[in-house]
Amino acid sequence: MLTLGRRWISAGLALLLASAAAAPPSTGGPQTLAYVIANFNNAVYETQFMDECPEGPAIGNDEMWWRGLSRADRDKLTENGLVQPVDRRFASVLRGPKGEDVCWNPTVIKEPPLRTVQGVVSYGFNLDGSNDDQATPKSCPHKNFVSERGTPGVDNQMYRLLGCHYGWRHNGVLDTFGNEERRNSGRGVILMEITGVTDPRNSPDVRVAFYRAADPFSIDAAGRILPYASYRVDSNAGKPRYGAVARGRIVDGVLTTEPIDAKLPFYANSAFAEIQLRDMHLSMDLTPGAAGSVQGLVGGYYDFDKWWEYMLKIEFLIATGDWSCPALYTAARELADGYPDPKTGDCTAISSAFKIDALPAFAIHTTAVEARR
Amino acid sequence: MMRVRSRLALICSLLSGASLLAACSRSEPPTTGAPVTVRRLTEAQYRNAVADIFGNQIVVAGRFDPIVRTAGLLAVGAGRATITPFGVERFAALAHSIARQVVAPGNRELLIPCQPAAPAAGDDGCATLFFQQAGRLLYRRALRPDDIATPLKIARAAAAARQDFYGGLAYGLQVMLTSPEFLFITENAEADPANKDVRRLDGFSRASRLSFMLWNTTPDSTLLAAAEQGELAGQDGLEQQVDRMMGSARFKQGVRAFFTDMLSLDDFSTLEKDTLIYPAFGLAAAEDSREQVLRTLIDELVTRDSDYRDIFTTRRTFMTVPLGMVYRVPATRPGGWAPFEFAADDPRAGIQTQLSFVALHSHPGKSSPTLRGKAIRELLLCQKVPDPPGNVNFDNFNNPNSPNKTARLRLAAHATDPACAGCHKLMDPIGLALENFDGAGQIRLTENGERIDASGDLNGIKFADARGLGQAMREDPAATSCVVRRAYTYAAGRPIDKGERDWLAYLEQSFADDGYRLRPLLRRIALSNALQTISKLKPEPRAGGAT
Repeated sequence: MLTLGRRWISAGLALLLASAAAAPPSTGGPQTLAYVIANFNNAVYETQFMDECPEGPAIGNDEMWWRGLSRADRDKLTENGLVQPVDRRFASVLRGPKGEDVCWNPTVIKEPPLRTVQGVVSYGFNLDGSNDDQATPKSCPHKNFVSERGTPGVDNQMYRLLGCHYGWRHNGVLDTFGNEERRNSGRGVILMEITGVTDPRNSPDVRVAFYRAADPFSIDAAGRILPYASYRVDSNAGKPRYGAVARGRIVDGVLTTEPIDAKLPFYANSAFAEIQLRDMHLSMDLTPGAAGSVQGLVGGYYDFDKWWEYMLKIEFLIATGDWSCPALYTAARELADGYPDPKTGDCTAISSAFKIDALPAFAIHTTAVEARR
Repeated sequence: MMRVRSRLALICSLLSGASLLAACSRSEPPTTGAPVTVRRLTEAQYRNAVADIFGNQIVVAGRFDPIVRTAGLLAVGAGRATITPFGVERFAALAHSIARQVVAPGNRELLIPCQPAAPAAGDDGCATLFFQQAGRLLYRRALRPDDIATPLKIARAAAAARQDFYGGLAYGLQVMLTSPEFLFITENAEADPANKDVRRLDGFSRASRLSFMLWNTTPDSTLLAAAEQGELAGQDGLEQQVDRMMGSARFKQGVRAFFTDMLSLDDFSTLEKDTLIYPAFGLAAAEDSREQVLRTLIDELVTRDSDYRDIFTTRRTFMTVPLGMVYRVPATRPGGWAPFEFAADDPRAGIQTQLSFVALHSHPGKSSPTLRGKAIRELLLCQKVPDPPGNVNFDNFNNPNSPNKTARLRLAAHATDPACAGCHKLMDPIGLALENFDGAGQIRLTENGERIDASGDLNGIKFADARGLGQAMREDPAATSCVVRRAYTYAAGRPIDKGERDWLAYLEQSFADDGYRLRPLLRRIALSNALQTISKLKPEPRAGGAT
């Protein structure tokens, strides 16, 4: 049996009716809203590039390699410049003293420091509860940002780390390609389900769950993701493979959740990953826009090892993403600001935030028997 | 018709004796019948016949000449269809393809009942056996000796020329597949031994009527055997076959075909929606919406054996993901069909609120109360709406800058033209009740920012919205009368004859007595004398005048 109850409502219809002057009577009881996440991007605050990155763009792997070559080696290794960065990316990483891959061995060489964000404004959450830059029991010393609305204490060192790479900025290849690839491949589709909704605009106590969908996106002929599609929750023996549940509330149409440790399913740039966030926060404006779409922000302390594992999986993109593995790794270690290791004192996670766009959808829960069909 | 029915009902209501009542409700009135028909196989019938005779693995890849809907049904239009020269080429190409597949290795072992003595030469014995078996099913009757003479001759010559028995057999089969005996359902009449004043269909013709009515395919071997042995002329034998057929899984196929015809679902083949306006209504949604209404009807009328009138109010249906995106409801079985029930307060109830109706009877980029009202009148109530005058002026209605924001207001302005008002009064009050569904069938509460008023009336019964319209249709005797007329017309494959009025009144009364259930209605038609009664031959007019 399918566990979809009679108390669901479609997200879009519920909000449509809620905003209508003479909505039909409610079916009674708490309702469920569900969304499929269409775009998942690093939350990079952008104005003028030089405002955030006065030192200029981060120098990438290829440039580091190129600058380290003699004129003769440049001609030889690039066939007099005919081999382009995208085609020499696997050669450029082998610049360790013994020809090691410097992405898999980022500490075997030392390179100039990464150019990082110097701006003061960022998207994100105050994860450690502190407005100053001092260490707390759950954070290492770090330089806070202020939010775009002027709120102090924003923790998003991932932005500081990546914000000067063209590949991670708006319309940069990495997030853009990741979103398109998810759309086309159907892998790593994330569902967000809100249960216990008594009123789509104001509900004091809701639960927010993140699942991985077992079905690809429903898209139209132009490749756009369609709203109101149904997606099975990816389950094993009737139990969702992912299913982090946060407690939250909706106030004036804005959903916020209490911090939880969560694993979010993720697929981008031909790599399955797992976004492992501690103290995950969520803020989402549920006021429907075009096609019922909603926007929000999710953030937390991203487990460093999980993050670096993803970087290694997408190593083949360094030529287009413009990063130097040793410089990136070293900077990331220095910027990691969450959950210090009790023994070493080094932080094991880095504060992060992601912008998400979502469309109304239906999350279909199946039992083990149904799943086997 | 309504007058006749009312008269009959009045007479019956005045009768007090139980036996008289029984006679009133159960005796089938005699009819004068109508001439035999010659009907071209529809595309679905052709495909079903090939699949049933040779198997589902035979691919029928080709297009068919269209049939013009007549008297509301393609089944009647098939009796007036011809085959164009281009159509002949298509049928020949199809026959060639099918015949090659039948004799191909892998199929020949199953479909050819013998093996040739030498595969590189002809074998008249084996070929004859094959043509006898296949021909009986293809021609839907016992074969005459000359039926297989030509195929056999062709097969023999081709086998000799190609030094390939199976290649020759394919040529012979191709002859049968392009024969009018296969492509046309040709009925024959015979004298009724019990009543020399009446003619009736012969056994094989009756078998075909039953088979195409109940299964939409060619008679199977059992039915042909019953016809051959004269069992269909007797009530017991006929009942046995009809009950067997209605108990078969193919019965659903037959009911689907009937409603496909009655609801004009073939119009889906030309349905277009502007995907910029309605991105969710793509090809998959269109295909699924056609299937959805058929599944709904089969579930209600065959599986549940419900009251026919419930189809105008039911909230039960089936859902897929593409449909769910248009309806904005969950599909609980992604990748397939799942039962679904709209909530009690949902605006949708009845097949007239499903996409197959509201999207099909709309424009590519907007709804159409007029088209929807016309469709309800013509398809579901069997009431003819006159065609619009040739010089109709749509300026008021189509003006994009019209101050009239809703279709109701625009139609009101348009209908001030006396030439238009008469017909619009028939259509618009019904169609406007469906205005909460846009051109793709999606729910909407407003149009151009103006709240939609979905009230209306049907023959004087007023209602507030689409659900009210469904209730009004449920109570309208024209709805049940319509399905009775359509079912009989569909079964007979010809328009209703004026000599069949009492029979239809009786049929409608019986339908009511049976709780408006479809199964008893179809069974009564299948077992009726009316279905097999053929009108007397009129003397041929003399040519050339008196001599």
